[in-house]
Amino acid sequence: MRPLLYLFWAELKRAWIQYIRYPAEALGGILITTFFFYALFAGAQYVAGPASQFGQRLDAVVIGYVLWTLVIFVVNDIALNLQVEAQTGTLEQVLLSPFSAATLFLARACASLVLRFSTVVVILGIILLLTGSRLHFPPTLLLPLASVVLGAYGFSFLLGSAALIWKRIQQLLILSQFGLLFLLATPTEEWSGSLKWLGQMLPMTAGAGLLRDVMVREAGLDPLRLLMALASGVFYFALGLLAFRRAMQLAKQRGILGSQ
Amino acid sequence: MKVLEAHHLQKTYRQGGKEVRAVVDVSLAIAAGEILAFLGPNGAGKTTTIKMIAGLIQPDAGSVRILGRDPHADPGALAQVGAVLEGNRNLYWRLTPLQNLEYFGVLRGLSPRTARQRGAELLETFGLGEKRDVAVQTLSRGMQQKVAIAVALLHQPALLLLDEPTLGLDVEAAQAVKSLIRQIAASGRAILLTTHQLDIAEALSDQVAVIERGIIIAQAPTQEMIRQFAGAAGSYRIELEQKLDPSRAERLAQQGVEILGSHQLRFSGSSETLYQVLEILKPLPLLRIKREEADLTHIFLKLLKRRREQG
Repeated sequence: MRPLLYLFWAELKRAWIQYIRYPAEALGGILITTFFFYALFAGAQYVAGPASQFGQRLDAVVIGYVLWTLVIFVVNDIALNLQVEAQTGTLEQVLLSPFSAATLFLARACASLVLRFSTVVVILGIILLLTGSRLHFPPTLLLPLASVVLGAYGFSFLLGSAALIWKRIQQLLILSQFGLLFLLATPTEEWSGSLKWLGQMLPMTAGAGLLRDVMVREAGLDPLRLLMALASGVFYFALGLLAFRRAMQLAKQRGILGSQ
Repeated sequence: MKVLEAHHLQKTYRQGGKEVRAVVDVSLAIAAGEILAFLGPNGAGKTTTIKMIAGLIQPDAGSVRILGRDPHADPGALAQVGAVLEGNRNLYWRLTPLQNLEYFGVLRGLSPRTARQRGAELLETFGLGEKRDVAVQTLSRGMQQKVAIAVALLHQPALLLLDEPTLGLDVEAAQAVKSLIRQIAASGRAILLTTHQLDIAEALSDQVAVIERGIIIAQAPTQEMIRQFAGAAGSYRIELEQKLDPSRAERLAQQGVEILGSHQLRFSGSSETLYQVLEILKPLPLLRIKREEADLTHIFLKLLKRRREQG
């Protein structure tokens, strides 16, 4: 267990150092995020784009936006970095490790989430202090959030697998952002008949639906739907890891791990 | 037990519907403290072989054992491998040398503290103590290469794979890396070294393996290979203190001696017939007789030529 903690810590430290190495770049990112949040608080909900469909209340808009940015960041951190590191050659050096590739990149995904989440929370905290606004996040949010994060990890590993095999996947990443938008923002729980159940089986949709229940409709958590959301999260997470493992084997068979 | 044992490795790639046989049959073995120079022209299969040994490319057939463990089935075997791969950065440029060492140390199974301690020691040993806290991208190519070697050594692996470690380095940096490699082998590690600088291979290696089109065409202890080639075509350069007279020159030419100038001759043949040549020269005062050693460059080119002539 301890080597895994060391690994997570090393990934977090590496991600942090790379993040702050160029202060102007880091500051630019923070300013953009701050601007968007400030705009949200100032009432310009349209800046959150379709994520604002999480509801009209400020808390709901904020949670929708946070979720959307975190998922985009984590997906990009895994898939895009795999592609970049294959090009620069650090990928092969990283894989010369007794840890499996899936373990290494899971540690990276967790470090990336912690880093992005911390940045967003600090920015939010400062804005709340400055504006005197208050947000209400019930603790029941945590489980549906966990299911969405698991789904997002699964999605990241699926795209990471594509990056390992096909290398250049920028276009796929842009397309995937529309896919993520659909998965997070479409109220599939309001669909009727068998379509409703089909919608619930897509990655992240069930968890996002539950978040809307809690934040917008102020309803309690439906235990059956929560169970389904968690099961879906675990399923897509496992699917992503399996695909990644297979893609890694395939890349080693074809000898294309380090090629561009 | 040998540190590395690779048996009959094979790898074929498919590129644009065509099959490219990168490695046809390669077997290598290296003991602790030994340096094997793996030589071959570009595209001969050196890097593919190294990556198969490092578990980064799956061989189609054959086996790799590192201290008896298979890196393709048992990732724990990779704890015994360090590598500096050609054409790769091998390092994170935004991190400092010490941060790179700590990060990669943990990836190889060390605790952050041990990785930091050993990293700082290695940087001192490599003469990079003062550069430990500056970003890698600001270092010279030679320094970056030394840091990459330090990263490969940090977890004290039994096997070090160095793919063109002196490529792109200036003479001074190449010399520094060369003496570093010698020190590393002296500390008991097995080293597989590929290089195009054959003088470096000759100076460092205990064994040589030459690969061409995916097949090992020669493999022997370095000095034995040099002796073997020198013995087959022993060549002596003779320098005279005074000018050679025409009658001697004629008799020497009949013996197959090459007259290089009025004071210099070259004779190729066995050491017994050398005395017949000296008899002709007697009593002219000699300045010097030197056996011209075959060097690895000549051997390498000769081997490739022979192989190509055989088709």
